[in-house]
Amino acid sequence: MSANRRRHANAIPIASFVTWALIGIFAGGGGLAYVWCKNQLYTTGSEIKSLERELVDLKNKNEVAESKIAQLSSTAKLQERYDTGFIKLVPITNDHITVLSNSTAAPNTGELRPVSNEKSVSSERIHE
Amino acid sequence: MNHTAQKRALFSCFALAGCFTVFSARLIDLQVTKHDEYAKIALEIHGTRQTKPAQRGRIMDIHGESLAQNEPVRTVVADATLINDHAEMATLLSTALGIPHAQVMEKLSRTVYSQALKKEMPSPYIVLKKEVPVNVTSDLSAKLAERKMRGIAFETASTRVYPNEHMLCHVLGYVNGRNEGVDGVERTMDQFLRGHDGFRYSERDRTGKEIFVYRGQERDARNGNNVRLTIDMGLQNIVEMEMDAAIKQFHPKSATVILMQPKTGEILALSNRPNYNPNVQEGVPEDHRRDRAVTDGVEPGSTFKIVTTTAALTEKIVRADTMINCENGYFASFHLHDHHPYPDLSVHDILVHSSNIGAAKLGIQLGDQRFYDYVRRFGFGERTGVNLPGEVSGIVHPLHAWSKYSITRIPMGQEVEATPLQIVTAMSAIANGGHLMMPQIIHDITDEQGHVIAKFPAQEIRQVASKAATDAVRDALVDVVSPKGTAALAHVVGYKVAGKTGTAQKYDEKTHLPSHERYTVSFVGFMPADDPAFACLVLVDEAQVSHDKNYGGMVAAPVFSRIAEKAARYLGLKPTVEEPMGSVMVHNDYRDQ
Repeated sequence: MSANRRRHANAIPIASFVTWALIGIFAGGGGLAYVWCKNQLYTTGSEIKSLERELVDLKNKNEVAESKIAQLSSTAKLQERYDTGFIKLVPITNDHITVLSNSTAAPNTGELRPVSNEKSVSSERIHE
Repeated sequence: MNHTAQKRALFSCFALAGCFTVFSARLIDLQVTKHDEYAKIALEIHGTRQTKPAQRGRIMDIHGESLAQNEPVRTVVADATLINDHAEMATLLSTALGIPHAQVMEKLSRTVYSQALKKEMPSPYIVLKKEVPVNVTSDLSAKLAERKMRGIAFETASTRVYPNEHMLCHVLGYVNGRNEGVDGVERTMDQFLRGHDGFRYSERDRTGKEIFVYRGQERDARNGNNVRLTIDMGLQNIVEMEMDAAIKQFHPKSATVILMQPKTGEILALSNRPNYNPNVQEGVPEDHRRDRAVTDGVEPGSTFKIVTTTAALTEKIVRADTMINCENGYFASFHLHDHHPYPDLSVHDILVHSSNIGAAKLGIQLGDQRFYDYVRRFGFGERTGVNLPGEVSGIVHPLHAWSKYSITRIPMGQEVEATPLQIVTAMSAIANGGHLMMPQIIHDITDEQGHVIAKFPAQEIRQVASKAATDAVRDALVDVVSPKGTAALAHVVGYKVAGKTGTAQKYDEKTHLPSHERYTVSFVGFMPADDPAFACLVLVDEAQVSHDKNYGGMVAAPVFSRIAEKAARYLGLKPTVEEPMGSVMVHNDYRDQ
């Protein structure tokens, strides 16, 4: 066998080697990516669960607070506080209530007057 | 390769192939043939269906004040398959939840038969305690985590809370352990208040933790709708305070007050005694739960004379000034007495003096059929249709069951039974010019976002009387609340009040005769008389007062007066009657029959 022929027979098949190496890298990389994705799913799932739990806790706290507020601001509770003197209110007696008449329009301008003083109008007319 | 080596290689190949064939067969057996069986076992062990509980809707008053709402609580549940040391767990739980140690041990040692495994196994679902406050479960959860103990779960639930406790209890009602309405508006509006639970399918690992990636089908809960009542808590509070004062003063067996808007039929306030706290279900007598305003019929007594008079005036048989012979106090043909002898009274004065003989004669003039028709037209003998449970129709005997005395007894409010709500509804028809309105307790229903999904507008049932007749009756009722009438104590300074007293003797079961000691007294009126803002009924059953004071004009009328005065201020009603400061009403006779 000639030297040239021997050299040719022992040549490394680079193309094939690269092909298999690439297949190996892709297969290994794919496997690793799968594991990484799976791991991410679990991690994200745990985070979502934790956030869900936090949200439920917050909702519950909010509801408890709302319930407490409703109880403390209920008519029955306010009355109880008034009865025990916690809220100081003085009842308005009838002689301290003034009922205003409906607003009337001024005769000349048509402007609305919340208070009309008929007496002064009459006195003006007398002077005229 | 020689022959022996070839044989060995062939044998090895066959052995290997046989091995793989066996493995493959087993794999097919597990994955295909017995798939369903093993999937069922796996699902039983690891799969769960979590319920996402829906929130029950709120009940509010007309101004949005919360009257019934939810408070989150937890149901503590144990999975005995995951608990290693029952005794240690029982010690921890009994301390935290306040349950006896032996009871927890008994619960944790429960077993169930597993159909899949074909054997007894520790129960995976044991309810230890319901309605545990959230703060208690938070502490317990922290302790469990600290000691690395597992097998305890906390299910989200909610409990119904009534912030005003006893107030308005009969209208609101209450719910049972499954959050279903049992009484009151909670019951009648249950289909709107109740939401729809959601769910989530998921799987758990062997430690009981949810495997997020295996979450399956999921549906969110749909919360219930909110119900807004026509009740005004400001007015309800006034009524409750005056009821308490009346109960303290008269110690009656029961009492009812209803405040109604006569033009629309909206119930503004409703209160009964005895009452109860809907937050505490244990130990409440059934008798206290009854909403007497709709479930109890009473003999209306003289308040029923408004029906007789209105009917006679509408039919134009008489005018308000027509004189009726009142037989000087004794109508011999029908064995009928007046409390005071009157020779002749106008139709107007028959109401003012509450003459039984006068009312009976009006009934006779109307005749059985016509009078019966008017009684029914005013809504007696049929349910009003209010959205409250347990309403009765009252009793109005059919014409063929009437005796010869019935036409003289029914016009004065005997031989009939009416609910307090029917009485105030009839009076509202007088107040609004003859329109019988359907009583309303629900204003509207809104969803979670506040969008109105149902409204309950005012509903006229029928025109029951002419405007002229109701005006004439109203004028007479104004005089009833005057010094010459039977209800001077119902007067409210600054306002024109119209109303009618009623005093009904109760039936004595021992003597089978009307009792002279037990009375149902009432006052039903409206204010201001010319443009009524509200109609109010005060009904007191068996007030503990002396015989000579047990009249509607002396027991119920003053309660009406106090309620009406405060209600007028609350509603900002403008006084229409000028009265001298410090004027004192003089009353001469509060008695009626």
